[in-house]
Amino acid sequence: MLEWLSLALLAVGAFFFLAGTVGLLRFPDVYCRLHALAKADNLGLGFILLGLAVQADSLAAALKLLLIWPLVLAASAGVGFAIARRAHALGIAPWRKEAE
Amino acid sequence: MTSVFALAIALFLLVNLVVALLAAARGPTPADRMLMALLFGTTGTAVLVLLAAAGGGTPLVDVALVLALLAAIGGIAFAKRAWQGEEGGDA
Amino acid sequence: MTLAFDLLLALALLWSAWRTLAAPRLDRAIVLFIAFGLLMALAWARLAAPDIGLAEAAIGAGLTGALLLDAYGVLQRRRDRP
Repeated sequence: MLEWLSLALLAVGAFFFLAGTVGLLRFPDVYCRLHALAKADNLGLGFILLGLAVQADSLAAALKLLLIWPLVLAASAGVGFAIARRAHALGIAPWRKEAE
Repeated sequence: MTSVFALAIALFLLVNLVVALLAAARGPTPADRMLMALLFGTTGTAVLVLLAAAGGGTPLVDVALVLALLAAIGGIAFAKRAWQGEEGGDA
Repeated sequence: MTLAFDLLLALALLWSAWRTLAAPRLDRAIVLFIAFGLLMALAWARLAAPDIGLAEAAIGAGLTGALLLDAYGVLQRRRDRP
């Protein structure tokens, strides 16, 4: 039972990584691509770590796996903010649907 | 069975990473290429954790931890110091 | 499946190393160098040497990449305001 839960969580994480990569390749401007990158960072890695922590040997190993997630959350939020602010300061306009 | 599945997911993520690498080599703007490098950092972290579960042992989790933190330093250095414009110019 | 993983990793490593050396512009070369360091860390992990992988992830992919990006920014500023 626990094994199937772990497999399902790993599959969901892999799906979010695929979605992040496809979004990074297909989205039109820097801000949209930051959004796609954050999905892969936060949800993809989160689900994969959760799926592995469910079937870890000991509580300490599970907690160590889950410790990676808040670190990546903080790092991803900081980098996303810095890049978006720099893009705004450089005068890169956000993409709009009419302005093809 | 779980370790086989973890290896399969790791292979899938490595394929993802290679596709992103091919795109990063010909990305249109400097920011795109840097975002690809950040995606490498996260995907590499996930691959390392999965390899640890697929028989690599717990030391690989430490490698994943270091990788996750230092990929962010590269992104901050890019945003604060290196990114000067839409198409940088060739220094 | 292990063989497929290793072959793909080796091919990506060689390709990124070649592209790093052959890249016409500095910023592309730096980004490809960061990707190369990351793939190298994965290769050390596959070779059952997690300590070398740790050093490669910290120095190769993290610190050297940030230092190179900083140096590239300094070069650009110096060219813009001579």
